[in-house]
Amino acid sequence: MALTDLFTKDVQELENEGILFSSLEKLVAWGRSNSLWPATFGLACCAIEMMQSTNSRNDLARFGSEVFRASPRQADVMIVAGRLSKKMAPIMKRVYDQMPDPKWVISMGACASSGGMFNNYAIVQNVDSVVPVDIYVPGCPPRPEALVYAVMQLQKKVRGEAFDERGIELPMVEGWAR
Amino acid sequence: MTIKEAGTVSSSVQGHGDFETKYMRVNVGPQHPSTHGVLRLVVDLDGERIANLIPQIGYLHTGFEKTMENRTYQQGVTYTNRMDYLHGFAHDFAYCVSVEKLLDAQVPIRAQRVRVILNELNRIASHLVFFATGLLDMGALTLYFYTMREREKILDIFEMVCGVRMNYGYFRIGGLSRDVPEGFEDAVRAFIKDFPPMIKQYAAMFAKNDIFLQRTRDVGVVTQEMALDYGLTGPSLRATGLGLDFRKTQPYSSYEDYSFDVPTATEGDIHARFMVRFEEMGESLKIVEQALNRLEPGPYKDPDRRISLPPRSELENSMEAVIFHFKLVTEGFHPPRGEVYVPTESARGELGYYIVSDGGSMPYRVKVRIPSLMNLQSLAPACIGGLFADMVMNIASFDPVLGDVDK
Amino acid sequence: MSLLEQVVEHLKTLEGKPGEFKAMVSVTVPKDHLLEAIESSKDAGFNMISDVFGLDYLSYPGHQGKRFSVAYNLYSIEANERIFIRVNLDEGETLPTITHLWSGANFMEREVYDMFGVVFDDHPDLRKLITPEDLDGHPHRKDFPLGETPTLFNDGRFLDPAAFRAGLRGDSEGLTGFVGGARKGVASQQKPEGGKA
Ligand code: SF4
Repeated sequence: MALTDLFTKDVQELENEGILFSSLEKLVAWGRSNSLWPATFGLACCAIEMMQSTNSRNDLARFGSEVFRASPRQADVMIVAGRLSKKMAPIMKRVYDQMPDPKWVISMGACASSGGMFNNYAIVQNVDSVVPVDIYVPGCPPRPEALVYAVMQLQKKVRGEAFDERGIELPMVEGWAR
Repeated sequence: MTIKEAGTVSSSVQGHGDFETKYMRVNVGPQHPSTHGVLRLVVDLDGERIANLIPQIGYLHTGFEKTMENRTYQQGVTYTNRMDYLHGFAHDFAYCVSVEKLLDAQVPIRAQRVRVILNELNRIASHLVFFATGLLDMGALTLYFYTMREREKILDIFEMVCGVRMNYGYFRIGGLSRDVPEGFEDAVRAFIKDFPPMIKQYAAMFAKNDIFLQRTRDVGVVTQEMALDYGLTGPSLRATGLGLDFRKTQPYSSYEDYSFDVPTATEGDIHARFMVRFEEMGESLKIVEQALNRLEPGPYKDPDRRISLPPRSELENSMEAVIFHFKLVTEGFHPPRGEVYVPTESARGELGYYIVSDGGSMPYRVKVRIPSLMNLQSLAPACIGGLFADMVMNIASFDPVLGDVDK
Repeated sequence: MSLLEQVVEHLKTLEGKPGEFKAMVSVTVPKDHLLEAIESSKDAGFNMISDVFGLDYLSYPGHQGKRFSVAYNLYSIEANERIFIRVNLDEGETLPTITHLWSGANFMEREVYDMFGVVFDDHPDLRKLITPEDLDGHPHRKDFPLGETPTLFNDGRFLDPAAFRAGLRGDSEGLTGFVGGARKGVASQQKPEGGKA
């Protein structure tokens, strides 16, 4: 195909030939969404299921999220897996602050989302009082499949896709839809 | 209240006179990939050697004991397994055995056998995670995928029995919550058949590996005197040559029926601690097989209506059953006053619940004798004098579970 | 005579009061003899320290005497026997440390200090073990609240967990409107009147 085709031909025609058009934001978001590297923030029981989600049966690597980074500087998403004690909360906040933007948080498990069964003096009752949370995963512990699903939902969010409660696609969030 | 100042070293160099240098203080954790959770270590370094090491814990303090004091006895079973999430059945087991001793409950033999089977399978699963993460700390990623594959098989059996993969809550005081489902025996038998070749496969993958041997032999030695001094129990104690295993010495819940060996090693180094656990998996499998062979149909919970719920079928035509059901669900039972302690053997060591009853429906005080916390104290003597890089292997070899440490 | 009986006999000479419940032997010794009692038990063969823990009898029904107890759980590997040596103390009293006998007692005593506020004299490193440094109080004391957060429902109603549970304890009606212990046979605390059973 000659370069001049790009100017002379119609967009529709070009797309039929396999040339795709996109905005830069969309392209970047697409790239980001497929390599969400989680920061290891395993706290308790849920962390074991987080580990299990990378094993050969569940294989989180299919969605580009298997690289658990120990350094928050290299991570995009923090999976808060487990109960957050009041002693640990400042440390979690610091790890979150150390992550480069853009960053997302998945709150995994009943304890992280709501305190779970530990309604007492030692446990922070919801992680979103410390850091903003994007996805809540219910369960005690959530199955690895649930975590994989949460990562897929987060990918949609990162790509700016939105759905109504029946799963029907809504127009792109404002700003993406240009 | 702060940690004491880092110490100093005096040295002298010819021609330069005496001088003092401070130890370098390094903080490891609590958010660190190889501390197996949220362990924080404050380490004083003399060059590459560790001069002092202080574990700082409590970053996962959940207040289990206090919470359990505000729940009925039966509700306690939901909490216990969340303490040691790798070997949850051991905690349920220890708690139930203690409360049953308090109540003089009669656990039917079928329930005891099922408990033993599940407990030992869980021990294998816990050791599998130990190998996966322990070798991961050394940089050997491959074994992780293999041991996790077998762990999934064990978790499948658990899921079949109690509907969840972890944090079971399947034991009840006086027995089990329900009978094991159909197909349980076949599934366990299939696992017993499949697993021994896998053990050989793991051994082939790391036991003779030169890097593994060099990094573990004669590293982090804990002698028998040190182990007793620090209250070390479990496989780590058995790696020093002392075959203390509460399943053997004070058998509980039909452990006396099964013949099994207590593997020991004499070196007390990291290698010994790995190998003792490795052999324990085989022994656990033996116990599972024997218990399965002796598993006979029968009741699965104490028939005493004051302890266990009446069967569902009776609720429809017996007013008395409904009353007992209502009382048990809303209020629970009232054990007599007293204090009990039963030592059991978890994958980490001596585990026991000290329960004080004031005659009410909730325990007055629950004190868990936690193996991981006591074992963690041995980390300092094992590490001091050694290389900083070996510290990570040392942590792994004691197999602490931080939920267990911090309670 | 087994090792346990020997040790109990010896502890009796130190004003120890033995007690037994379901084959568990515990000996309560006075505070002044604690160190001697533990040292002699260790020399006699109880060579493994299993645990050191505290108990708070503040709200134990009918309890008389000192408020706290500290128990030492000792185990003898050769004789396969276990003994609990206990000491009672009040608020403000201190105990001698046993870290010179077992280094492993370090964390256990720190835990008792953290959870109950019992001070151990001459302990090499008596700091809080588990709770955050800025937490005031000692959580396992009975007058320390559990610290539950009430549940808020959509329509603005609150559910107070402690009130919800109160019925289970048997000392008030609670939200279930059920008075515990009012049934024949299992009643530990019978409530004379009032409350719908
Ligand atoms: S939600 Fe359940 S599994 Fe997860 S940390 Fe809490 S107790 Fe553990």
